[in-house]
Amino acid sequence: MNSFIKIIFLFFGLQVGVFSYGQGFQVNFQGQKQQGMGCAGAALNLDASSLFFNPGASAFANKSEVNLAGTTIFAHVLYTDSTTQTSFRTQNPVGTPFSAYGLYHFKKSLEPLSIGLAVYTPFGSTVQWDPNWIGRFALTRLSLKAIFFQPTFSYRISERFGLGAGFVLSNGSVNLQKDIPIQDSLGQFGHAELAGKAIGFGYNGGILYHVNHKFSMGLSYRSKVNMSVNNGNASFTVPSALVSSFPNGTFSSQLPLPSVLTLGLCFTPNAKWSFVLDINRVNWKVYDTLAFDYAQNTSALGDTKSARNYKSICAFRGGAAYTATKKWTFRLGGGFGFTPVQSGYVTPETPDANRLYGTCGFSFTANHHFSIDASLYATRMQRTDKNLETQLNGTFTTMAFAPGISLNYRW
Amino acid sequence: MVMNKQPFLLLAVFATLALLSCEPKVKSQLPSKGELDVTKVVYIGDGQMGGYMNDGLKNEGQKNSLANILAAQFELIGSNPANIPWINSASIGISTTGLAPLHLGYKTDCQGNVSLSPIRDASIGDLSSISQSCYNANSPFTVFGIPGLKLNQFTNTSLAGTNAFYNRMCATPNTSLLDELLAQNATFFQLYIGLEDVLDYAKSGGTHETLPSDLLFQQNYEQVVQNLTANGAKGAIATIPDVSQMPYFTTIPWNGLTLDNSNVGTLNNIYNPLGFYFQLGANPFMMVDSSANMFAVRQIQSSELLLLSLPLDSVKCNQMGVLFPIRDEFVLDANELSMLRGKIQSYNNFIRQIAQTYNLALVNTDQFVSNLADGFTYNGVSMSAKFVSGGAYSLDGIYLNPRGNAHFANAFIKAINQKYHSTIPEVNANKFDGVRFP
Repeated sequence: MNSFIKIIFLFFGLQVGVFSYGQGFQVNFQGQKQQGMGCAGAALNLDASSLFFNPGASAFANKSEVNLAGTTIFAHVLYTDSTTQTSFRTQNPVGTPFSAYGLYHFKKSLEPLSIGLAVYTPFGSTVQWDPNWIGRFALTRLSLKAIFFQPTFSYRISERFGLGAGFVLSNGSVNLQKDIPIQDSLGQFGHAELAGKAIGFGYNGGILYHVNHKFSMGLSYRSKVNMSVNNGNASFTVPSALVSSFPNGTFSSQLPLPSVLTLGLCFTPNAKWSFVLDINRVNWKVYDTLAFDYAQNTSALGDTKSARNYKSICAFRGGAAYTATKKWTFRLGGGFGFTPVQSGYVTPETPDANRLYGTCGFSFTANHHFSIDASLYATRMQRTDKNLETQLNGTFTTMAFAPGISLNYRW
Repeated sequence: MVMNKQPFLLLAVFATLALLSCEPKVKSQLPSKGELDVTKVVYIGDGQMGGYMNDGLKNEGQKNSLANILAAQFELIGSNPANIPWINSASIGISTTGLAPLHLGYKTDCQGNVSLSPIRDASIGDLSSISQSCYNANSPFTVFGIPGLKLNQFTNTSLAGTNAFYNRMCATPNTSLLDELLAQNATFFQLYIGLEDVLDYAKSGGTHETLPSDLLFQQNYEQVVQNLTANGAKGAIATIPDVSQMPYFTTIPWNGLTLDNSNVGTLNNIYNPLGFYFQLGANPFMMVDSSANMFAVRQIQSSELLLLSLPLDSVKCNQMGVLFPIRDEFVLDANELSMLRGKIQSYNNFIRQIAQTYNLALVNTDQFVSNLADGFTYNGVSMSAKFVSGGAYSLDGIYLNPRGNAHFANAFIKAINQKYHSTIPEVNANKFDGVRFP
């Protein structure tokens, strides 16, 4: 118990300088150890999850490893409309980002080389609003999924310097639904559903440099991935008199997932303690427009272009780990991220705000081969805005809790 | 062994925390009545107040009337529920001219083309729905939304004889409406009157010279307000919209005469000697104008308006607007429009002055209707004054549909909140019906 109290005390003392982030529809749950420390860890090799955080850090692995992790996100959004003072909630399903890492460490003459495969979900979101909510004509449901597959090479050039790079293939899907303000003879509103699969490509590279025994720094760059939807399926439910105006058909669209540049720092004063800090630059500026191009246009169904005008942002995250015994390690952290969503552009699909969050976690090492990590993330954020396009005018309050667990096997 | 159980214990703690996952709490502003006394609120006006829409009054429209929508919001600050002279919900309802209300259906035109069009629910309206008195001395009405009501009829003691909608709700047939209203001893009134006074002229294409003089309008308006406020009651009054911005006057295009090679020559042969020229494609219709030339015919100008009453079958199949010029009753010409708009403006100047003098909330209906004409977006829904597709006007092209009424009610609520420092919530207009499609 004593060690817990120390860590909590430490966290409050550290908070001003320890920030991190997870903005837009980005999901920052790619490693349980990092999640325990405010989602930071680009400057050290924690486990096979470094394939994501910094492939350069994976060069310092001295064992092969398999790492399977899952996080459950319980997110609740409350929207209070400013003119009617009515409130509506989301009925979001539990989000389940996961990651799977396999790292093979070569022996003998190939010793400095490691190769790995990383599978993870760095972007995604499912927002399901109350079916009768006031913004039903702007959005009723958005489900966005992207799974990244990343084969990676890491090479340790010297005792101090490692680098790594991976190719990224992203496979995703999008499903967007909203009601159409046209009623049939019974008063039922119409409905639109756009569903499609998307593919994108990118890369992930990084370097790690051990300045001395106590201090290391890492730099990683995950490229932009342009998710293209071709031959998406657009289906409309409208009164029979208007079926020809809303033809079911195909659509195409693009969703750019932004690049992330990370500078990571790690300070390890002794065998018990380590402190990490990551600073991210996320190039959200690439998301300026959400456009849908329908194969068949009519007077009622035109191609749409909605301004998103995201701005690039910085985020700060950090935390500490305390290795209490050979078997137990405890972690605590937190972060702060600026929102990429500018005033006038807050939407019910991403009711984003500047975000402050806290995390904690632990690891239990059963033996030389097997260990378990767990983490918990919590945040609350609020944003009041009047959207320029839909004129939706109100306050979004979001609370999210995300517990996660990973199983690791080393040999 | 003890150590091995600990991870699972900690996991259980995490899982419990997650399941607790407290949701954000609702913190909305409580409605307050500010300086309003809502002991007795009455709603006064013409069909727009009472739920007249799709050229008819029926139960469904009354439920979605300006008065009923407002009353529901006023109940949130402790007001009495609206007492409405309901029409039986089984009745199809009736128009001011005895016809059945309109709905959107399929109509076959003279050329055999089938298209969506407003059509009557039945060959005639349900006269029985308004022929019986529904007055009950124990439960006085609070909604006086009387279809066809004009400003100069408030003191008319024989109104019941000419207006069946009033006849069925009044205490005795020879009480004037004003006396009925004063008997309610309202603490707050909401008055929207004057639309019918200008509609008569506008809907007749300027052939009924019925626009009241400024003086008469002013006397009548002040008399009503003076009486309603005599007991210290507060209220909201509303300006008169520029009706020429409503779809009844803006739907049929001035240049809807589409010509091809075969008929453009014929028409040029006939009309060139008079100085009128036609081209391939869109051309202005021909209209009657006694001052134009010896044949009293000219091309309509882009600023002039064709009325929804124009018989389109005659236009499509019988050369109306081409060889037979469109008659005056179907056109608001430039002079008539300037007369109409000028009058509305001067009535409104007076209404604004009355609002100041009597310290009442002022609803800028003219602004509201012109915002609709420009179009606006509300919670993801585009609203405009376009016929049918605009989403605000009912199928008669003049009276608002339920969703339009909800937006209009929000204009009342904003004006009242501002004037009396109340915080009555607005309604979610998107919850209300627009136009229903087959």
